[in-house]
Amino acid sequence: MKRSTGSKAPLGQATTGANRSRGTEVPEPDRPVQHKFFGDSLARVSVRLVLVAAVAAFGILFMWTLIANGRYPLAVLVFLVTAGVCVSFTVERLYPFRWFSPGLALMAIMLLYPTAYTMYVAFTNYGDGHLLTRVQVIDQLERQTYRPEDGRQFTWTAFRSERGEFVLWLQSDAGSFLAEPGEPFIPADRLPNWVGPLDTDGIPTEIRGYTRLNRTEVLRFLTQISALEFGELPETVRVQSLDLVEERRQRFVFDPANDTMTDQRDGTVYRPVTGTFTAEDGTTLRPGFWVTIGPRNFQRLFTSPALSGPFIRVFVWTFVFAFFSVLLTFTVGLFFALVFDHPKLPAKRLIRSLLLVPYALPAFISVNIWRGMFSRHFGLISTTLEAIFGWSPLWLANPVWARVGILITQTWLGFPYMMLICTGALQSLPNDIFEAATIDGAGALRKFWNLTLPLLMVAVGPLLIASFAFNFNNFTVIDIYAEGGPPMAGTTTPAGHTDILITYIFRLAFAGGRGADFGYASAITMVIFLILAIITALQFRYTRVWEEISENV
Amino acid sequence: MRRFYVVLLLVAVAVAPVLAGGQRQAQPRAAFDIDANTTLVIWADEQRAPILEDLGAQFTARYGVPVTVQQMGFGDIRDNIKVAGPAGEGADIIIGAHDWLGELVASGIVAPIEIGNRVNDFTDSSIAAFTYDGELFGVPYAVENVAFFFNPDLVPTVPRDWAEVRTVSDRLRAAGQARYGFIRQEGDPYHFFPIQTAFGGYVFAENPDGTYNPNDVGIDNAGSIQSARWLQEMVTSGKIPGGLDWDTYHNLFETGQAAMIITGPWALDRLNASGVNYEIAPIPGGGRPFLGVQGFMVSAFSDNVPLATAFLTEFVATADTMFTLYERGGRPPALLAALDRVQDPALVAFGDAGRDGLPMPAIPEMSAVWSAWGDAVTLIMQEQATGEAAFTNAASQIRSTIAGN
Amino acid sequence: MAASTVFNRHRQTFDIAGRLLIAAVALVFALTPVLLIVSASLDPRNNIVTQSIIPPGASLKNYQALFASNIHPYGIWFWNTLKISVISSVLTVLICSISAYAFSRFRFKGRRGLLLSVFLIQVFPNSLTMVATFLLIQAIGLFLPSFGLNSHGGLILIYLGGAMGINTWLMKGYFDSVPRSLDESARIDGASNWQIYWRVILPVVRPILTVVALISFIAAYSDFLIPQIVLQDTRQFTIAVGLTLFVRAGEYSRNWGIFAAGALIGAVPVVTLYLFLQKFLVRGLTSGAVKG
Repeated sequence: MKRSTGSKAPLGQATTGANRSRGTEVPEPDRPVQHKFFGDSLARVSVRLVLVAAVAAFGILFMWTLIANGRYPLAVLVFLVTAGVCVSFTVERLYPFRWFSPGLALMAIMLLYPTAYTMYVAFTNYGDGHLLTRVQVIDQLERQTYRPEDGRQFTWTAFRSERGEFVLWLQSDAGSFLAEPGEPFIPADRLPNWVGPLDTDGIPTEIRGYTRLNRTEVLRFLTQISALEFGELPETVRVQSLDLVEERRQRFVFDPANDTMTDQRDGTVYRPVTGTFTAEDGTTLRPGFWVTIGPRNFQRLFTSPALSGPFIRVFVWTFVFAFFSVLLTFTVGLFFALVFDHPKLPAKRLIRSLLLVPYALPAFISVNIWRGMFSRHFGLISTTLEAIFGWSPLWLANPVWARVGILITQTWLGFPYMMLICTGALQSLPNDIFEAATIDGAGALRKFWNLTLPLLMVAVGPLLIASFAFNFNNFTVIDIYAEGGPPMAGTTTPAGHTDILITYIFRLAFAGGRGADFGYASAITMVIFLILAIITALQFRYTRVWEEISENV
Repeated sequence: MRRFYVVLLLVAVAVAPVLAGGQRQAQPRAAFDIDANTTLVIWADEQRAPILEDLGAQFTARYGVPVTVQQMGFGDIRDNIKVAGPAGEGADIIIGAHDWLGELVASGIVAPIEIGNRVNDFTDSSIAAFTYDGELFGVPYAVENVAFFFNPDLVPTVPRDWAEVRTVSDRLRAAGQARYGFIRQEGDPYHFFPIQTAFGGYVFAENPDGTYNPNDVGIDNAGSIQSARWLQEMVTSGKIPGGLDWDTYHNLFETGQAAMIITGPWALDRLNASGVNYEIAPIPGGGRPFLGVQGFMVSAFSDNVPLATAFLTEFVATADTMFTLYERGGRPPALLAALDRVQDPALVAFGDAGRDGLPMPAIPEMSAVWSAWGDAVTLIMQEQATGEAAFTNAASQIRSTIAGN
Repeated sequence: MAASTVFNRHRQTFDIAGRLLIAAVALVFALTPVLLIVSASLDPRNNIVTQSIIPPGASLKNYQALFASNIHPYGIWFWNTLKISVISSVLTVLICSISAYAFSRFRFKGRRGLLLSVFLIQVFPNSLTMVATFLLIQAIGLFLPSFGLNSHGGLILIYLGGAMGINTWLMKGYFDSVPRSLDESARIDGASNWQIYWRVILPVVRPILTVVALISFIAAYSDFLIPQIVLQDTRQFTIAVGLTLFVRAGEYSRNWGIFAAGALIGAVPVVTLYLFLQKFLVRGLTSGAVKG
């Protein structure tokens, strides 16, 4: 309280005096006037100019690479970010943004882009069966071949010239042939003179200018050889495997004009229907490709049986879980931070460091350990309780105790983080207030409620909101602990008593009848994000209050 | 002056692409230098990776084609190839299980392969498992299934059926010979399936050609319900204790506190280490376990499908390699020449138990089954629902999920 | 007077004894599961459920196995992890403190909106952003291979993308509590904004810098989702993603023993770092901190 008179008032005067009026309500306490050459010394402007030019050059080269590779949305983003950085460093009015530019630029590209992409996916059918792009699918289908009914099959031996050309010696019951790319087959009885006599296996002993490749050597060239068509069109053959050369025809031909795919074997015409080439009788070609399908994923979510049935129970538990996770970790963490923040406490640093261990271990093993401790027959907690009270709750099978168990586990996992943050934030509290309060005769508890906690909230409040949001979607812990179990009986969709929103609905998205459906899962994510964003924004009204508190201290 | 910066910026934006574009002409690929860039990338899990790395080194030495083995968790291989494959960053060869085929083939992630007569070198069931819609999508290497384990000190003869398992359990407990007779883990439908089939239950009905019919769900047929009732009786009478997990029920068997369990070859190491006396038998009552086949698949996005296939047929599908893989993984090989060399009576017994096994359904609809079915088994074991109610509800959940797509 | 001092001294002794008692309870709560992880790491049977403190046949086999093999080079993972965590932690502190300074000291249009947006974007559930992140890193790699797939640079970039947000808020709250009279006196001495930030504010806010450094260090250290997307070669792995190899081989072949051993060794630097950094975690808000 003392500081409020000591610092705030003169500061206010100083700012109004030094500040160029910009028409904003809040006076800006920065940048004393320094117009010499465009607001700065020539040297600094030159340095800034070089910097801006470097950023621009970098961004543009990056953008160009992206364009060259067809990554247009990202290229646009890179352009915007580059332009933003450059403009903020040239336009004086945007001075504060210079300070944000590294963080914001990284955030825009590394965080905003994936988020926006995921939102976009919510409007597509991307998922199992529709993982590829249209171009990829057309390409894959057009590469499919079939053997015509009278198609010929041979075993083969390859010969390679110095220049890397290949000829094949083909053998089958119907006779042996010499095959070159683009030339008609030459039967064994009409061989030209550059082909030597046949050996006991019926293979030429020598082809002039060529070396015979044995099965081991041919592997080295297999990718090249199998890319070649041997013989004269249309009766060409292709290497299918080490043992087989076959006459193949292209099976599907795409007609870009009509947007149809035609099966050459029987003439069936397939048209794309929501990312799948479909014939009139309903037969489809796999694979499908992904297309935008508008709001269909959202419609599906809102008409899904998942939203009736156990949904409300899951929804309520999600809030309970997130709220108590924050409350418990924060209470325990703050309590420890306060208790061990004592100048005369021996081994203070060691105690704090050891309490950090739960945070330093991978949750993957510690949650499993906790589950083991709760297990009915060998679990440390169960057996201990059994030994002392002759009774232990069914930590994993009973709906209520399973939830209690998961909150205990959560508390263990999360309190070190809160302790760490509170220990740091407590250092911002000015000693003199406490001294003043002590002199006023305030009790420890009253000091805590009236001074420590409100002041601490300034720094820690947003963090608690973030922690709430994080736990709202804490997929990992719920999933490792019991995969949402114990299951609820008699529900229309599978659900567990510890399932939270995201585990419950994701299970439906990834265990639907067609495997993983990313589009649907993204739509769900977006809805959950919307719910969370509203909650968060509401909670944020308090931060304004917190900020005012801090400025009045 | 300020405008100067803005103008400069705009000029830079306009000029740079031209400058950059000048340098970045697409390089036409020379016709015959492909093998200079040819490499094979293999994704394998921690167990298999070392063996493949050795093979890869040999392959490189002999053909000059570099082979890179990248390790990841077994299940992660499936998730990662779906993203990395289409982006052109995936492996040429992946290790996987045959029941991934449904989603991988439907998504165009793996390529059909041509191995000619070599199909005759593998067990029929393993080739069948890797055949999807009439095309072969992988080179199988190991088959796995569960079997019935009993402790001959406690149970002198194998029970004929599950009713006898029940009476034997009662007898052992009454006589105080063992704490439990037959026990099992809470949930885990995979290990329950052979019991379910022993009573005549099924998951998806089989079509005449051996494929599964996703429109005929058998989780609530008479046999399945009967198996659920059997389980319920075992649990409510205290013969099967609730709350067991995988480690615990093995532990009870290893310490002689339980006389009978169902488990797979992955438990052999720990059973042998424990020193417990055990024998392996086919599932009582003619129960049919799921067959899981593991093998190598070739990415549809590989530039070298024939080469990758040749690597598999020439290098991996040899008796020596397959035998090494068997020694490290402890699963019966799918290659007949390697299977012939397996002497271990335990694995022979697993082979017997799996003779009538059913391949794990690879159709995408299977993903709708696991969670509902597993919940049903758990609910029975936690005494939260009767066998009949649990399985009937699970079946309706599965049907509505499949219909919802 | 003397009596009161004695009383006070007694009170203090009681006070400290009480705190130590709480410490004992806290340590039991915090470390019992850790003890079981230690026991799992000594258990040759790869068992995490049997839950005996000293498992039968306890040995250091798992620790030896961890360092014995080139297939899973734990030593290299350890080094990679330290490198990535230190770099991203230092850069995070730098980026965040610059932003927090501006948020705390400048008033401009859109300030609250920006603060809120920076926060809200981080609320987006990240379970599904893997695919997009993969494609993004691939795209960056087209231009700068050392920040592309399979690079530590790409990984660090992703961590820095998430650097603002919560950390900026945390720091801003702390910066707000630093009296502006400090800035003003420096400004009168002719200091620029940058000099005020660097010479005046940063030394005073050391505790929160330490906290953010540690939080972002641990975040990078223990993350296994993003490295799994970005890194491909085993030798590029971090500890967290490397260890998952042992427990993701299959549902029934989890190698808990090695995992536990690797996790425990991996925790040592974190705990040591905190032990060391605690000397910066003391009230820095004194007038003595103001220097030219």
